[in-house]
Amino acid sequence: MAESPLADAELIARVVVRDDRHAFSELVRRHQSAVRTTLRRLTGGNHALADDLAQETFMLAYRNLGSFRQEAKFSTWLYRIATNAYLAEARKRKEELLGDRDSGVADDESGDAPDDDAGGPDPERAASLSMDMQRAMEVLSDAERAAIVQCYHNDLSHEEAAQVLDCPVGTVKTHILRAKQKMKARLAAWARD
Amino acid sequence: MNDRPLPAAESYTNTDDDWLEAALLADGREHRAQYLDDAGFTARVIAALPAPLALPAWRRPALMLLWALAGLGIALALPGAVVDVAYDVMHVVAGQHVSLSGIGAAVVALAVAAWAAAAFALRDD
Repeated sequence: MAESPLADAELIARVVVRDDRHAFSELVRRHQSAVRTTLRRLTGGNHALADDLAQETFMLAYRNLGSFRQEAKFSTWLYRIATNAYLAEARKRKEELLGDRDSGVADDESGDAPDDDAGGPDPERAASLSMDMQRAMEVLSDAERAAIVQCYHNDLSHEEAAQVLDCPVGTVKTHILRAKQKMKARLAAWARD
Repeated sequence: MNDRPLPAAESYTNTDDDWLEAALLADGREHRAQYLDDAGFTARVIAALPAPLALPAWRRPALMLLWALAGLGIALALPGAVVDVAYDVMHVVAGQHVSLSGIGAAVVALAVAAWAAAAFALRDD
């Protein structure tokens, strides 16, 4: 009979107590997809950078696993490390990233409007909206983008997002409000449709 | 976002924003449904971890030797005390009525104590 998979808490205990690399690799395997997709969103689709940051996230998690108190879910803790890694990298690359983003936005100005003949919820239209949403997220500040990703993409409550972003709940709500205002302006063509 | 209570969620959601809220929620669902194949990622992470702390092979015998030397040193430093204690113990034991089962129990207790001490000394770090 196949053994039931161990809970995250049990794997974490094995890593902390016995430095069990096999247990840690199981943790990485379980959470790599969520962490990498989150970082891909945060980095605006830069897969190489996202994977580098994901690797850094798991390395930091390994080093600090002893301080994980299990008050939050392990995935929430990982999101926090990943978001901090992204924000630190964004600060480091601020000038470079802003330059890339500005040019990207300029190129996309004509791409916002949906096709005139777009009707109901067809897959092509949904894909087009999804791409425009991703582009619209590029105009957000790092903190605003992080708040949107945690609340909408990672399905966290405001309180959990505040833990991840290490800021008050009110700040999360403000970031989301401002982000939505910016996205609304950027995606105005979709609202008229 | 999830269904958990969000006290002020309505504060930034109005009719004008409904289409954006719906689009964000749909985008979030699409994001969560996405699964990235590991494609060697886990192996790269594990390979990048610091090497496990390997204790030198000579550490355990050296520790045992040090404990033995320390015991011998104490015995040599206090020769009279060791003999006196041994003599007194023998005297007390000889003055007792000792049954065969009592001796057996003492031997078992001593063996358990010795085994526990050895297990403690040779435990994994």
